[in-house]
Amino acid sequence: MGPSPTTLVITTRSGIGASVAKRLQDRGDAILQTDPSLDLTDAGAVAASLRSLCGSNTVDRVVLAAIDPSAFRAAPITSLSEAEWDQAAEYSMRAAFIALQQAHAVVADGGRVILVLPTVVTTGVAELVPLCTAVEAIRVMAKAVARRWGARSITVNTIEVELSAFMLGDDDADGVVMPAVPVLGQPALPPSSAVDDVLGLVDMLATPAAGAITGALLVADRGTVMQP
Amino acid sequence: MSGLQGLMEGRVVLVTGAGAGVGRGVSAAFASAGAIVGIGVRRPEAAEETAADVAAAGGTPVILRCDVTDSSQSAAAIAQLANDYGRLDAVVHNAVSNRSSEATDFEHTTLDEWEDHSSVTVRATWRLAVQAYPHLQKTRGAYLLMSSPAGIEGSERAPFYSAVKAAQRGFVRALAREWGPDHIRVNSVAPLAISPALENMKILEPERVKRIEGLVPLGRLGDPETDIGPPSVFLCSDEARYVTGQTLVVSGGRFTSL
Repeated sequence: MGPSPTTLVITTRSGIGASVAKRLQDRGDAILQTDPSLDLTDAGAVAASLRSLCGSNTVDRVVLAAIDPSAFRAAPITSLSEAEWDQAAEYSMRAAFIALQQAHAVVADGGRVILVLPTVVTTGVAELVPLCTAVEAIRVMAKAVARRWGARSITVNTIEVELSAFMLGDDDADGVVMPAVPVLGQPALPPSSAVDDVLGLVDMLATPAAGAITGALLVADRGTVMQP
Repeated sequence: MSGLQGLMEGRVVLVTGAGAGVGRGVSAAFASAGAIVGIGVRRPEAAEETAADVAAAGGTPVILRCDVTDSSQSAAAIAQLANDYGRLDAVVHNAVSNRSSEATDFEHTTLDEWEDHSSVTVRATWRLAVQAYPHLQKTRGAYLLMSSPAGIEGSERAPFYSAVKAAQRGFVRALAREWGPDHIRVNSVAPLAISPALENMKILEPERVKRIEGLVPLGRLGDPETDIGPPSVFLCSDEARYVTGQTLVVSGGRFTSL
């Protein structure tokens, strides 16, 4: 890959994905970003969007951060209707599948696919069962895809950041009651920018030296949840 | 299996997908432990062998029509057990999509295939939990999900199966915390065991089965009743009263780093 990789960012309208896209743009990177209102579970629409963005070109990196905002609303599972469960848990899984599937068509051989997820599922969080369910599914979907795409030297990795990073710049965040999550623990490190933390790892994964890292989970949550 | 004797005496358990494979073996193990076993199946005629196993093991088989993708069927199955026997102590969600053993062409398939997997393994996991909750709350019972090692390491051949089985593990961790105050325990088992699909593979591709067995330090695939059954019964019994939010990998040592 050349010195100025093109990054395709597939994300919802707010949260860590949108913030990462903006930061990449601000620093002058070549960025393609899907329309934040795009329904990521609509394969035809996603394919058309990527065709429109990429034309006949390929991209070097894909950053996918597209957990549906409803997944962050804390509620006991017994209080959810089937439609609410679907939106909070299953929509994001479908979106991950379609986004990865369609990204496969535009990512270059040797490219990097990076998913950004919240660190909630290592411990599990009460009243965020849909989110934890979706995140673990997407984590392992990424591993399966990493195995499938390895023959093209495409790496697929997951970066996990603090839960609060998914509320960055979210207009609806004021209306979201986050659960008390002492189970996630206190960060070991002082406050930092989650966007910078993600970008650092995205840049690291783009280097040739990281070509053997695939199917990995890289946690940048300031030591909040330390993997066993 | 004398080691299980009395562990679930008088307890009432629903096992989904109980007509064959792990579901059939686990049902028999619960019967050996003294349980009344609700044999949840899509087609009642497919439950006869399991019912015979349960009866032979000294248990009480109750055949229930329970297509877990049909909310009314799973609700009726749970209600029938609770009404007829006065309690429900455990639900073991073992059912999987009919397509679970098929390879998935991830790059070209459609959401229809995803839905086949998700409706049985993700949505039904949530729905069974909600439907069983008031009963499990009363008995301080257990919810056990049959996950898979594929749901931990990710399978190249089966990315959808891997993802939905992983979803169950995320569900387990979070719900264990949510239901802890109710003293309902939530766990999963990730088994490597002989299944109907593997039985077919033994006939059609014996070398492939031998290769798989060669990867297992204990040198064989697990038996659903005698290898997967006991740990499943344990996790639903009082002996595991302090175990929740866990996935127990039962794979003969095949998966040691999960």
